[in-house]
Amino acid sequence: MSRAAVSAASQGLVGCHVCCNLASSSQHRCPRCGSALHPRKNASLQRTLALLITACMLYVPANLYPIMYTDSFGSTEASTILGGVVLLIEMGELPIALIIFLFSVMVPSGKLMTLFYLVWSVERASGLDARQRSQMYRITEFIGKWSMVDVFVVAILAALVHLGGLLVVRPGVAAVSFSGVVIITMLAAETFDSRLIWDKEEENQRGS
Amino acid sequence: MSSEIACHGCDLLVNIGGLQDGESASCPRCGQFLTRYREDAFSRTLAYTIAAIILLILANSYSFLSFAANGLENAITLLETPAALWEYEVYSAAVIVAAFILAIPAAVLAMLLALCVPLSRGIYLPWLSSLAKGVFLSQNWAMVEVFIIGVIVSLVKIAEMADVSLGISFWAYAAFALCFTLAVSSLDRYQCWETLEDLERA
Repeated sequence: MSRAAVSAASQGLVGCHVCCNLASSSQHRCPRCGSALHPRKNASLQRTLALLITACMLYVPANLYPIMYTDSFGSTEASTILGGVVLLIEMGELPIALIIFLFSVMVPSGKLMTLFYLVWSVERASGLDARQRSQMYRITEFIGKWSMVDVFVVAILAALVHLGGLLVVRPGVAAVSFSGVVIITMLAAETFDSRLIWDKEEENQRGS
Repeated sequence: MSSEIACHGCDLLVNIGGLQDGESASCPRCGQFLTRYREDAFSRTLAYTIAAIILLILANSYSFLSFAANGLENAITLLETPAALWEYEVYSAAVIVAAFILAIPAAVLAMLLALCVPLSRGIYLPWLSSLAKGVFLSQNWAMVEVFIIGVIVSLVKIAEMADVSLGISFWAYAAFALCFTLAVSSLDRYQCWETLEDLERA
């Protein structure tokens, strides 16, 4: 970078996260919209880490227990998230299997790992290039809600497939734990403050 | 009009003054999207919002999907999707699904309507800023486009077991999801608040 980067915090300013207004850091409430002002999100790393650990704990039952049951002609078949993917592959529906695998397996675990990595990289002030880490954070933030696909599928099938004793789909307990994982990782992404990546970067540049 | 903002991705001070109609600005340091200026932003948002409201009403008035096998048939409306989870006593998932696909999107649309009607006419009202806050806080929690993918996946999963047909409500909801996404993305956070401030001063 040719020209020295000037952050708002170094000028005694804080940007309101709700209305983008620039206010003096001595103020606690945004003069324009009245939202609480934080130069950096409060205890961002600790809160993100706490939410990530919660999500990891919920991730276990979400994958071990069945997300739905199919009762047909008196026999019951339970399917887990991964089981559902395998079933779709066996049915020959590769594109759909890929979508479910991407949204229900890759995205949640990838999000958890990315956020753990980002928290670690800020703590240690090392890791990839800051711009790349910002990019990773934005992707994590954007992609979060797409993991809800599987929960919606269970809701639709449970409502639709309801033919007396012939064929019934029932939701399983993993549907609840899995929606918990999705919501809590979305909150974790929202709690993480990507400006901390750049604070460390500025510190490192000043140090060297 | 103040033209300097702090990038919310990296806190860099960026001057975004002098944007012409249709131009957008991103942070030069971290690449975060900052703002897009459109002269007709409010009437554009209003148009998509009204279309989305009409489509949402349609989506709730007809059958959504129907399913037939061995002579038995079952048709469901949109609202029966979360209601089924409720009947199976998975209450939390029922509430979550109802909120993400219906309640939050409907609330966002109501707020957008109440916000953009006065803004597109240049009228200031004291409660507009609380509406704007509500819109920007809740819009991330609407999952209408995710639900559409969910419907498509469900159809493929059961296509072999039975005959599934898409009702009018499905098409209405798909069009609603498109209009909703366009409405939310046409309202620029920075421009909205700058306009509110200018109108309040005037």
